[in-house]
Amino acid sequence: MNKDQFLKKLDQSLNRLSDDERKDILADFQEHFDLAKEDDKTEEEIAQSLGAPSQIGKELLATHYLEKAETTSSTGNFLRAVWAVIGLGFFNLVIVLGPFIALVSLIVAGWITGGAFVISPFLFLINVVLYPSSFLYFDLFFTITLTGIGLFIVIGMVYATNIVTKGFMRYLNFNVRVVKGGMK
Amino acid sequence: MNIQFKKGALELCVLALLNKQDRYGYELVQKISDQIAISEGSVYPLLRRLKKEEYFTTYLQESQEGPSRKYYRLTVKGRDHLIELMEEWNHFSDSVNYILKEGVSDE
Repeated sequence: MNKDQFLKKLDQSLNRLSDDERKDILADFQEHFDLAKEDDKTEEEIAQSLGAPSQIGKELLATHYLEKAETTSSTGNFLRAVWAVIGLGFFNLVIVLGPFIALVSLIVAGWITGGAFVISPFLFLINVVLYPSSFLYFDLFFTITLTGIGLFIVIGMVYATNIVTKGFMRYLNFNVRVVKGGMK
Repeated sequence: MNIQFKKGALELCVLALLNKQDRYGYELVQKISDQIAISEGSVYPLLRRLKKEEYFTTYLQESQEGPSRKYYRLTVKGRDHLIELMEEWNHFSDSVNYILKEGVSDE
């Protein structure tokens, strides 16, 4: 692979980044090629020791998405960051995707439980409308109690979701810092 | 050496190389790859990340021969981070060495 091919491949893998950032990154590698050539290395040798441009691109994207998810936390940004870190290598597939699925399941379960508790009086009313003979005061007050508990669960889940998201972001950052990335 | 180890060590190496003087990217890459087998390209993403974390600033400087070079200069924050990492590293390598000595030396 010569210089132009290398830079072109790198450029392609960075098409999600802003033009400014892309130009800046390419300029770094352009400079690297220029200086290495002064050391009497061929373009092929230089490209060889730089490593695969696609892997370099992946690493830059992972950093980019993590930063974006930290500045503007939306579900989309968060998912893109998770996905980009998983893409870094097979090792990350195991140590990122596993905990991610476990945490998401827990949070979803929490929200569903809270939500179901909150709406339980409505379910009770529907039941009474359909089968008036099944009316029991115990059920009425019990479901109202559940609504109260459900509200607490929902409030708790808001905090829990926040904490888990932040914690997981820190875990992703740790991954990018420590694990894999174009090493020989 | 194990890849997981190397990446963490790379950050420490870059910071240490910039402690006494400003250097340009290619120079940093050469200094490291002289000692450790790395994919040289992976140093640049690292440099960008550390710059975003404000561990160093960059400036362009013309050179007599060839194109202008992007120099990296360690900030105060970067130096603090270097000291912190170095202490962690020393503690870690001391522990490993101790275990090695116990395990491998003859009774």
